[in-house]
Amino acid sequence: MASDLFGVPADRITATSSPETLENWDSVQHLNLVLALEEKFGMQLSPEEIEQMKSIGDTAKLIESKLQATPR
Amino acid sequence: MAIVIEPYRQEHEPAVQEFNRRLQQSSGDPDLVFSQRSVPRWLPPANNNPVWNEFFVAVEGSSVRGAYGLKQEMVLVRRKGMHKVACYHHPLSEGIIDRKYASVGALLARDALARQPFLYALGMGGSDRPIAKMLKVLGFSLTPIPFYFRVVHPYRFLLEMQALRQTRWRALAMSMAAVTGTGWLAIKSAQEASKLRGRTLDFVAEEIPEFSEWADEIWNKANGIVSMAAVRDAKTLRLLYRADVTSIKRLRVSRKGSAIGWAIIGQRRKDPKFGRMRVGSVVDCWAAPENAAAVVQAAAQALEKDGVDLIVSNQSHQVWCRAFESGGFLKGPSTFVFAASKKLTELLQPLEETRLSLHITRADGDGLPANF
Repeated sequence: MASDLFGVPADRITATSSPETLENWDSVQHLNLVLALEEKFGMQLSPEEIEQMKSIGDTAKLIESKLQATPR
Repeated sequence: MAIVIEPYRQEHEPAVQEFNRRLQQSSGDPDLVFSQRSVPRWLPPANNNPVWNEFFVAVEGSSVRGAYGLKQEMVLVRRKGMHKVACYHHPLSEGIIDRKYASVGALLARDALARQPFLYALGMGGSDRPIAKMLKVLGFSLTPIPFYFRVVHPYRFLLEMQALRQTRWRALAMSMAAVTGTGWLAIKSAQEASKLRGRTLDFVAEEIPEFSEWADEIWNKANGIVSMAAVRDAKTLRLLYRADVTSIKRLRVSRKGSAIGWAIIGQRRKDPKFGRMRVGSVVDCWAAPENAAAVVQAAAQALEKDGVDLIVSNQSHQVWCRAFESGGFLKGPSTFVFAASKKLTELLQPLEETRLSLHITRADGDGLPANF
């Protein structure tokens, strides 16, 4: 998903990839990332959670914790 | 530290000043500045006012990382009556200068939508600019609002219009056209060809200090032709175009002693793309369809009398577009975009039809204080 959104090969994306290291991670793409995650995982991200998405690693942790907290 | 969006209060003013300083220092753009006052100068909130502005700031600890404004207003929607909507304006994010804050733009737009789902934005410099792109991602529909211009002094236009002089060769060609008179001939011919479809109209125009109840009659008479228009009754007009604002002129247009329409005209503040030209604008206008052409002529004549070199206007309603064309105006490329949220777009369905009768001008949104 991040590879498509930010237009870089998947092997160049790491947990530390962030707006400061990925050229195309601007405010528009940040919003695209939020909407893509919400759609893929069927969840709503709060303003606090959106703000926590400072890197790919932070974003992955956030989504994992939300998925674990969701009753199945 | 978490970022929280809250209403802009006096205690935030020093942090907003610091935010502005950072934006200006890093970007070098003097326009990247948010209101230093927490209480809006234009349309401050007041009891029973039908239109008002409010500001919000994105706060991280003691710092401000973003801000935006909402202009709350009433619009009339055909067959659906009056609706509360808001204009999302002046969104500014620290993300412009520091990518660490790339999330702030999304936070601001989502916060505005949560406060008023019937949201719109206007202008934005074109649909390819970041704010318009972000709103599109959020499901907003984007509609360019046609741009009209009439050259009053072709010589100055050819020498000063920077958009026409972006390369050395084009600049040279424009200078040649100005000096030889061929440019004058071409521009005047195009404008006269457009004007021939119109006719000389019988009207009297007078500058008025303030709107009064006669404007209600014209508002009621003409609002049946619009799919959506921000309310333009006398009470609202007195707030939008306050008597103490001297950068604009209010024109009352009448025939045989009865008011038939009005226009707001003004000279735009200096803008590098217009060089040293004096640019007049037909900011806003209202009349029944049969009187639109007279109002356009009255506005253009008043601006010519004020000595402008170029007259510009943005108009969305087909009746007004035709009136400007018959008044010798030419259509140019528009970067003035109307973005409507999903909810507002639903209200305007079918948008392909209703967009032709939206009444949107340069005075809608936040355009008035920003440009005059």
